[in-house]
Amino acid sequence: MAVSLERISAVLLQELYITARSVEVMVDLPFWSLMTVIVFGFVTRFLATVMNPTVAQYLYLGTLLWEIIRITQYSMSLGALWNVWSHNFSNMFITPLSMAEYVVAQMLSAAVKAVLMFGVIVLIASVVFGLNLFDMGIGNIALGFVNLLWFAYSVGLFILGIIFRLGTRIQALAWGLVLVFQPLTAAYYPLSIMPPALQTVARAFPPTYVFEAARAGLSAPAINWADAGVALLENLAYFALSLWFFKYMYRRSRQTGQFARNEE
Amino acid sequence: MDRVSFSLRKGRIVGLLGPNGAGKTTTIQMLVGITLPDGGSIRYFGQDLHRRREACLQRINFCSSYNMLQNRITVWENLVVYARLYRVARAEEKIRDLGAYFGITDLMRQRFLTLSAGQKTRVNLVKALLNDPEVVLMDEPTASLDPDIADRTLSLIESLRESRNLSIVYTSHQMDEVTRICDEVIFLDHGRIVAQDTPAGLTRRIANARVRVKFEGQRNDVARALRGRFGEVSLPARDVVIVTTEEHLVPQAIFDIGNAGVQIVDIDIRKPTLEDVFLQIARGNGRVA
Repeated sequence: MAVSLERISAVLLQELYITARSVEVMVDLPFWSLMTVIVFGFVTRFLATVMNPTVAQYLYLGTLLWEIIRITQYSMSLGALWNVWSHNFSNMFITPLSMAEYVVAQMLSAAVKAVLMFGVIVLIASVVFGLNLFDMGIGNIALGFVNLLWFAYSVGLFILGIIFRLGTRIQALAWGLVLVFQPLTAAYYPLSIMPPALQTVARAFPPTYVFEAARAGLSAPAINWADAGVALLENLAYFALSLWFFKYMYRRSRQTGQFARNEE
Repeated sequence: MDRVSFSLRKGRIVGLLGPNGAGKTTTIQMLVGITLPDGGSIRYFGQDLHRRREACLQRINFCSSYNMLQNRITVWENLVVYARLYRVARAEEKIRDLGAYFGITDLMRQRFLTLSAGQKTRVNLVKALLNDPEVVLMDEPTASLDPDIADRTLSLIESLRESRNLSIVYTSHQMDEVTRICDEVIFLDHGRIVAQDTPAGLTRRIANARVRVKFEGQRNDVARALRGRFGEVSLPARDVVIVTTEEHLVPQAIFDIGNAGVQIVDIDIRKPTLEDVFLQIARGNGRVA
């Protein structure tokens, strides 16, 4: 089946309308990000006065980078739920819109939101709180952004698949599941402080390499291509796996009738 | 669903009826591709729905009282999104024309969430016609509407069928609606077709009509004239007789009562309806043959 840019643009247009008209989305995305960058900016400023300033910056750095995952995954998972809650989701798939087109649209929408919000919070962090992310190098930022974005796509697809198959009774996963990765990916602290066994687990997740590279980049803005490569490869594997899982769950959901029942 | 098979000709309305859990909504969900059947095939215009999904869905549409549009955005925004999903040419003009036809022009700037049930149904009907469909599937479109709005909605559906030669699959719990607009009725029960005919044909299969006659005269003479000749005769009051019999024997029953030497004061004839067919199925009498 041919992919239609017009149908993808229709989903993007709906996303724009929903975002503009939903207080919840405005609170969950820009407001939450702004509060995060401000609160942790002050916490970092305070910690810098009582401890090694670089260490204090680790916390802030992790907080800023984590927003890429949070915004992207939220957008991927919640985009569908806004329509499920409106009893409109299955309606959309009674049109020629394919699930592939829908997912591509959600990925684009999530990327746009992540770019915009990350840009804003990076600017605030730099101007107001003196943490210039560009100190770690444009290459590190770009690679890190792509890796975190792609990882969040995988988590978002995985959660969507579970919601399609099991229904909205487990919709809290849309907000909560991604937090599992926060301690496991050493978002706020160096990987080296984790127990060896957990370090091995952490290395199985692409964000770990991004956070490590970002911390290292603050003092020496060189790209660690080996780690970046591992992260990209892991992301490819996770994305392929989550795509397979999502397709399987979507098909099962339609076979069992759950896909239509999700809105009852 | 179990071996459900039917076809829909151009310009015809087929009604799906049955008690709760009979499989009406599941059938509709399969017909629009959001639920997958275990086996068999669904074909539109000679093409398999699952192999040629895009081509099929481009020519059909759907309207239900259960599926809504996106609550948070306006009617206009919803319709623009759906027009794009169907790749409608000159979408805004189309939305305005359909909006005027269904009387929702003034609602365009309102959020879908704020509309009444009747307004939502009309907006859903606009959505259902955006792509000039040849087939529309309607799942209880008048459920939760008050009788006046339901009647107007049915009139709209009837006029749409006439003006656009639409083919419609229609599910409802309202027997009078189905009798009014459907050319053919399929009764489902436990996922199987238990009866399929025109509404008139189905009611003819329920053999018995009921005639209630009030009279002045001797009840014994009436009883003697009727007993043994008709299916069921009862005299619930001194001056009332009720005869339940095949529809074509009703005139004969009235004639016999008149010949029994009594004066007929009042006659009330209740012919079988689709509701009787429905009740017979719902109460487990199974197939209406």
